[in-house]
Amino acid sequence: MTLLKVEDLHTHFISRDLDNQICIAKALNGVSFSLEAGRVLGIVGETGAGKSLTAQSIVGLLRPPAKIVAGSVRFEGRELTDMPDAELNRIRGNNIAMVVQNPRTSLDPLTRVGDQLVRLHQIHSGGPKTASHKRALEMMEAVGLPDPESRAKSWPHELSGGMAQRVLLAMALMNSPKLLIADEPTTGLDVTVQAQILDLLRSLVARFDMATLIITHDLGVVAHFCNDIAVMFGGSIVETGSVRDVFAAPAHPYTRDLIAATPERFQMGRAKALGGQPPDLYNLPSGCVLQSRCAYATELCQTTVRNAEVAEGHFALCHYAGRLEEQPAVKINA
Amino acid sequence: MTFQRFLLRRALMVIPLMIGVVFITFMLVRIGGLDPVGRLAGPTATQAEFDSIRNNLGLDQPLWKQFSIYLGNVVRGDLGESWLSNRSVLTDIKERAVISLELLFWGVGIGALVGVPVGLRAAFRPNGRFDQFTRVLSLFGFSIPTYWLALVMIFVFFYLLGWSPPAIGRMSLLVTPPDMITGSYLIDGVLTARWDAAQSAASQLILPVICLAIVSAAPIIKQTRAIAIEVLSSDTVRYAHACGLPERNVRKLVLRNSAVPILTYIGTEVTGLVGTMSLIEYVFAWGGLGQYGLNAIISGDFTAVQGYVLVLAVFSVLVFIVIDFVVYLIEPRSELS
Ligand SMILES: Nc1ncnc2c1ncn2[C@@H]1O[C@H](COP(=O)(O)OP(=O)(O)OP(=O)(O)O)[C@@H](O)[C@H]1O
Ligand code: SF4
Ligand SMILES: [Mg+2]
Repeated sequence: MTLLKVEDLHTHFISRDLDNQICIAKALNGVSFSLEAGRVLGIVGETGAGKSLTAQSIVGLLRPPAKIVAGSVRFEGRELTDMPDAELNRIRGNNIAMVVQNPRTSLDPLTRVGDQLVRLHQIHSGGPKTASHKRALEMMEAVGLPDPESRAKSWPHELSGGMAQRVLLAMALMNSPKLLIADEPTTGLDVTVQAQILDLLRSLVARFDMATLIITHDLGVVAHFCNDIAVMFGGSIVETGSVRDVFAAPAHPYTRDLIAATPERFQMGRAKALGGQPPDLYNLPSGCVLQSRCAYATELCQTTVRNAEVAEGHFALCHYAGRLEEQPAVKINA
Repeated sequence: MTFQRFLLRRALMVIPLMIGVVFITFMLVRIGGLDPVGRLAGPTATQAEFDSIRNNLGLDQPLWKQFSIYLGNVVRGDLGESWLSNRSVLTDIKERAVISLELLFWGVGIGALVGVPVGLRAAFRPNGRFDQFTRVLSLFGFSIPTYWLALVMIFVFFYLLGWSPPAIGRMSLLVTPPDMITGSYLIDGVLTARWDAAQSAASQLILPVICLAIVSAAPIIKQTRAIAIEVLSSDTVRYAHACGLPERNVRKLVLRNSAVPILTYIGTEVTGLVGTMSLIEYVFAWGGLGQYGLNAIISGDFTAVQGYVLVLAVFSVLVFIVIDFVVYLIEPRSELS
């Protein structure tokens, strides 16, 4: 059975403007992908593409005005989108663990690190406290925190960014999750520490055999780390497939730009590296979201795009997927 | 840093502050157009009598000299005598401070006891029905003038309904006050088993306490709500949700992380209630420090005004020291500084 199956997920921000008119920002527009046990999927895309929102939608962490308006998320066959919070709470931090971007501010500032690890284990796995404590020390050891005994007594504010991120990884491992979601786990860290954390993450994923969803700006991370890739743009996944296939033969114009603009481990950071504005989510064009920026765009692109399978397991959301080269000359952004 | 060193450093920091307070009040009182001499001398006094009063009070000396004498006395713990009653200002203030503290304690205590949970509940569902309801209520609490609220409460609960005793101070005229131990009739009544006195003291306390509670609860609700909303949107709470912490634990987390800013706010509020206290004490003929200060200002009783302001400043400093210490106990990041 597929571990995680996301189908046609639509998440909107629904608010009212000053004139009390309803405004809708269509932030996710039919996101679909699936993740098998033991696989590592990387989601890449420029800022604002909806990567974090996808993760939050999956685990039910959306806050108003964000709302899932359509679609389904199945984890081990159970539908998560309409699951009550109390039940979701038994899955989050337990079967699905998250590692977030700001480790230092995310930990509870008023509780010692070790106690937070123990608390997390107690909440989900129960059992004697001494067992939780032992497990906490093991996991701190596993994430390479030196001298776990004394580290367990630290307060979060005493940790460096890299150490705090290791603590979050230990938190994630506490209940042996089946799925790990890491949302830009290295963004806030020094470059040297980033590499350490990534190496650690890679070895942990292999050692604990977790399916992993890693969100990043960095194609280099995807290339070295993931089995599969999903490229996001304007709230849609525009191309997915195995890392090897997509890098060898990118089928979507956006992916091509992305790869072209990315020397080894180049940090995209901003959309400007690629040129062009992100689409206005309040006012999406009909048809392809990329059309105003796409060098291949034609009038056909103003009509609804379907996912095309360019090779086995390799999909691209483009009218000309797989035949960009032979595309007719009438281009609108020429 | 140990607690003793903390206290010592605080004390050292406070000294220049106190000299400044003494100086400013001293000058303000003198250039404020108050003149007690006419009042002391009476309407039929001659110029010679005026001059001799001035001379007795030292008012004919140059200002700097008056100030240095006064400062010297203050350092020795002598706040002088009231020019109107010839009583020691320090004794007067000591007696009244207890009376005012009692009112302040119950008023702000109840205000906080109501305000904090209400603010928290409003924060957990911002813009929900409860939130909107409390927003209207606290707007009401913000905008009513204190003395008007006090008068209306007396009118309604004493005059119309007859539920409360008349606003004639801290004890019914028909009851003999209990022997003095702490200075609070309620506590002394209980300590000496004078139940009639304790009961009378309690029933006299109710209206002014409610009045003060209403006035102090409104800003507490507003601040608590704002603080808790900020904590709720913090990374910490987001991450707690991502870890599947049950709602109950998340609330506890929010509560613990809001405690320090809420406490600090309440401390600031307490030190800012001087004007409110004076008005309430005045309307209820409470006879505490607030009323004392107000009378001293109105009648131009220089030493009493100076003593009053100085004591308020000391009180504020004490409140902040206590809060710093409590914060130090709950907050591992904090250093006593
Ligand atoms: N309250 C809101 N109302 C409307 N739109 C919002 C709101 N909050 C976020 N968005 C939009 O949702 C989109 C998705 O945001 P998301 O955080 O998922 O981006 P991301 O891909 O994770 O980007 P980053 O790389 O910067 O983390 C963004 O374009 C953002 O502008
Ligand atoms: S559908 Fe058209 S606009 Fe969209 S990516 Fe393909 S060619 Fe470009
Ligand atoms: Mg993000």
